[in-house]
Amino acid sequence: MSSKKLIEEEIERRNFKKGGEVSSKLKSLLRKLGIDTQIIRKISIITYELEMNIIIHSDGGKITAIIANNEIKIIADDDGPGIKDVEKALQAGYSTAEDEIRELGFGAGMGLNNVKNYSDQMDIKTSEDEGTTIKAVLNV
Amino acid sequence: MKKHSVLLKEDKCEGCTNCVKNCPTKAIRVHQGKAKIKEDLCIDCAECIRTCEYHAKYTETNKIEEIEEYKFSCALIPPSFYGQFNEKLDINKIYKGLKIAGFSGVFDVAMAAEAISQKTKKFLAENKGPYISSSCPVVVRLIKLIFPELLENLAPIKSPVELMAEKVKREISQKENISKDEIGVFFITPCPAKLTTVENPLGQEKSFLDGAIAVEKIYDTLLDIMDEYDLEKKMDADENNYEDRPYLGISWGQSGGEEEILNDYDEKETISVSDIKEVKGILEEISRDNIRGIKYFELVSCPQGCVGGVLNVNNSYQAKYNIKKLVEKYKNETPDKLMVDQDFSAYNYELSQKFKATDVAKLDEDLDKAMEKLTAIEEEIEILPGLDCAACGAPDCETLAEDIVNGQAKRTDCVFMLRKKVGDLADEMSALAHELPPVMSKENNKESEVEENEIKKDD
Repeated sequence: MSSKKLIEEEIERRNFKKGGEVSSKLKSLLRKLGIDTQIIRKISIITYELEMNIIIHSDGGKITAIIANNEIKIIADDDGPGIKDVEKALQAGYSTAEDEIRELGFGAGMGLNNVKNYSDQMDIKTSEDEGTTIKAVLNV
Repeated sequence: MKKHSVLLKEDKCEGCTNCVKNCPTKAIRVHQGKAKIKEDLCIDCAECIRTCEYHAKYTETNKIEEIEEYKFSCALIPPSFYGQFNEKLDINKIYKGLKIAGFSGVFDVAMAAEAISQKTKKFLAENKGPYISSSCPVVVRLIKLIFPELLENLAPIKSPVELMAEKVKREISQKENISKDEIGVFFITPCPAKLTTVENPLGQEKSFLDGAIAVEKIYDTLLDIMDEYDLEKKMDADENNYEDRPYLGISWGQSGGEEEILNDYDEKETISVSDIKEVKGILEEISRDNIRGIKYFELVSCPQGCVGGVLNVNNSYQAKYNIKKLVEKYKNETPDKLMVDQDFSAYNYELSQKFKATDVAKLDEDLDKAMEKLTAIEEEIEILPGLDCAACGAPDCETLAEDIVNGQAKRTDCVFMLRKKVGDLADEMSALAHELPPVMSKENNKESEVEENEIKKDD
């Protein structure tokens, strides 16, 4: 199977209006490729969570999606403050989002937990200086 | 099998692309100056009927004469039908009028709507959700086509029309001792989508309806009858005493009605959304798991709900108001009664099939080939101007790119690409015009080359 970059999109900090655009675009591309509906749903949820993470927590970043070797990789790369406690961040309901954002209905703490639950493989690289890179992989 | 009921009057179509731009599933293209509907993509939302200034889009419902083919014919009235009249009109007159028009029996879908409300309430108590109402056929088709990941979220319950039709057919067959084939059940339809379900049902092998007649046709017939007869005198004593009158179920005719009844039943985690564009938006959010706390979605394609259906005669807001007034009137008459007394177990709510995806998005059966096509589409998008002007007959450049790669359109269908190609050709012709055949060239070609270069400089 050949490989193909499906998406490479910049995400801006605090641009809530654009939240979900990458996820929707990726979903429509995967449907054109005939990927299984339930896998598309997982990818759509994962991508949305990663998008919102960059919007809420970082100073901006990028989402890339690649299909190759019977897997789809979604990579979220940001220039943010890094995740201080990765293990805690993966727990359902844990959130470091500021109150104002939580009051707006975002930052419920389901983000990374959802990404972990819906992906077949997940990898987080994070540091205070270099931001965070999250890679989620799904088999197709 | 008929896939959709929205049709085109070719002679009226001006090829303006208004419908193309407004179609929520990108199902329309203009070719040779006429709109063409891609039957696999049309979900009968009737947005094109709404937007066409030339009234070139229409739908052909059954004729009232067709009821004569049956020994026993039934008219099923939708809740939205009540919105076509003001609340002072005695409902019994509508019933009588329809009987004079030839129907052997008149039945109210609002009764089945009330039954569905209590069924839904029970279903929601036993299941986690979130669930989406499966009553609007356009919403179900939209999910089948664009949001197949949400098929499992559709409430597995018959729509009010089918629920009523099944019960009516079964009960009349027993009561009149005739076979079901001899009974014709006709829905008075506010929309083309319900007409399509007669031949192409959702979640069932076969529809329990035998036809659908447009509200506007019936309205016309009823007006003639009302002109001709004094219905008051015509009515029998028992018809004046219609006790099985539907009550809250009538509010299903407008958006928020289904939700309102569930709320009355203490199921409060609900929301109601109408208008296909809004419905698409909320489905997108449900799909990405971005909705919190809502357990049941009442989604309807037409603005204001079924009263906004294109086959109605009254303005949708007026109709909504009429229904509100009527429900208020009933509430005042019997304040301690939520619904009609009826046997809810007399209905058969189950759907015989699961909802299935309409899978037409796939570019190719083979993943590698689909990926190649996707790359070709991306390259084509890069070349096209990106203005989404629709002058090519497709709704936007992205769709044209896909049509080109699928061999259904040419790059020069785009006026800007055509203009560029003409320009390039003109340049090439001009360059060619200055070339000389070998026999005419001088001893050496230097002279002509010099000349040519000078011409180029002049350009």
